[in-house]
Amino acid sequence: MRGWLGTIIVVGVLACAPAGLPPFAMTLLTEALILGLFAMSLDLMVGYTRLISFGHAAAYGLGAYTSGYLLLHTDIAMPFAVIAAALFSGVVAIGVAWVCTLASGVSFSMLTLAFAQLLYAVAFKWTSVTGASDGLAGIPRSPGPFGTTFFVGKSGFYYLVLVCLFGGFVFCRSLVRSPFGSVLRGIRENEAKTLSLGYNTRCYKIAVVAISFTLGGLAGALYAPFAGFANTELLFWLFSGQVLIMVIVGGAGTLVGPIIGAAFFMLVSNVLSSWTDSWALFFGLIFILFVLFAPQGIWGLATQAFTGEVAGARRGRWRSLNWTG
Amino acid sequence: MALLELDGLTRRFGGIIAVDRVTMRVEAGEVRAVIGPNGAGKSTLFNLITGVVKASEGNVRFDDHVLTGQSPHSICRRGISRTFQITALFPEMTARENARLAAQARHVRRWQPYGGNTVFGDAEQRGDAALERLGLTHVASRPAGLLSHGDQRLLEVAMALAQQPRLLLLDEPTQGLSVEETAQAVETLAGLLSDGAMTVLLVEHDMEVVFRLARMITVLHRGAVIADGAPEQVRTDPDVQRAYLGGLA
Repeated sequence: MRGWLGTIIVVGVLACAPAGLPPFAMTLLTEALILGLFAMSLDLMVGYTRLISFGHAAAYGLGAYTSGYLLLHTDIAMPFAVIAAALFSGVVAIGVAWVCTLASGVSFSMLTLAFAQLLYAVAFKWTSVTGASDGLAGIPRSPGPFGTTFFVGKSGFYYLVLVCLFGGFVFCRSLVRSPFGSVLRGIRENEAKTLSLGYNTRCYKIAVVAISFTLGGLAGALYAPFAGFANTELLFWLFSGQVLIMVIVGGAGTLVGPIIGAAFFMLVSNVLSSWTDSWALFFGLIFILFVLFAPQGIWGLATQAFTGEVAGARRGRWRSLNWTG
Repeated sequence: MALLELDGLTRRFGGIIAVDRVTMRVEAGEVRAVIGPNGAGKSTLFNLITGVVKASEGNVRFDDHVLTGQSPHSICRRGISRTFQITALFPEMTARENARLAAQARHVRRWQPYGGNTVFGDAEQRGDAALERLGLTHVASRPAGLLSHGDQRLLEVAMALAQQPRLLLLDEPTQGLSVEETAQAVETLAGLLSDGAMTVLLVEHDMEVVFRLARMITVLHRGAVIADGAPEQVRTDPDVQRAYLGGLA
């Protein structure tokens, strides 16, 4: 109950943000929430199932290109285009996961990376659909549904993002606490044992990748009309690495952690880049410090400080990560 | 009609024959031990039955279904639960959660991606009952990784029991235990098996454990069955003495 109270307060404060924040800050906040949704989706794989993906940008890029394409070439209302793009991303993920889960450990990670890079190459070459290196530009926020223009405006769009993030959070929270979620935990801790108990672990893994890609695709699908463009950078491996950093710095195995990690990443990269061009170097240092000294992440540290409990993929020792498992 | 029947079961790894034309029957309600020196093929035999390793030749039949070629999880779903020679648990979950997850695997709604109080309730009830039968109730809320080695071995058995299996495979349940721990674990297991309600196939090194628990013994040597029968019969078998007991008996 206390958890819900906190959630409601945070959502309430975020809902009031458009009234008090300047437009520039609203843009940053909207992007942070989109990235938060993206990072949270990856955490289902990384934090809850210990499926380390180096290619989660694939989900984001698929969502962004799909919703961008739909908005540019059809009259579908934006919220529907966004949902369609998210579902498309999830369906593609079933195929991707079917192949990737043939391997485990490092090989799994490498296959996810390969798939993302494959999509990157496709986006570069398939000029008629993706616009190649120019990407898709001038993506509109089509009005609707039912003739409403609420979501076209800046704060209307912000509320759409907020609803998606909140909905995604509630969904994930219920998922990880369900019987299905407890099997994911089993896979995280000892996949061979989970298999021998009679669980078809591969099906569970494919399912969680599909869910993760659907939510990651949702984030990407929101990004396209937010930024007005979609380009190949959204599919690039660098972005996959960044979202992994957001998850780990925020706190893997907690749903709130990655959202905070995304906001932290946005904030720090904005501040650092105003001081120096080599901001990534400094963020890298921050990341290393977290991995070595606070593997539980920002949210893990906060929970520990306030309740004395160790949260989430606690003891989430990245140093002793079992790659072979 | 035997519950488990192995028929000419063979497994080769390259040029090595790990399991050599093993034919064996386990009747319902029987407690049978598979013994043999290191490398006799005992663990491979378990892995063949549970589908972890594919057979090169031969068949495994369980309750009149052919198991050969099926995946480990579907074999498990037919009612065969196993423990591992090297302790395999979910170390960050409590003992109760370990048992619950084991029991949940038998629940029709184990996939449910939301809520789940009913599923968890049912599974926890069965898990707790299994913990109690192995005397682990007092450590139920401790993380499995922090239990003593003896309790960890018993927790594995409890997890297998929580699945209410028709055939229980125990792979060296006293592996790595001290003399006292072994004695304790054997007493607990003997109590568990005394009512004859369970069918058990047991791999064990320790002869005292075998003679205390098993009513039938199969002896493997270099992958092949060299003796099969009641403990007394096996103990005095000249082949067995030569191959395994080294003239001790």
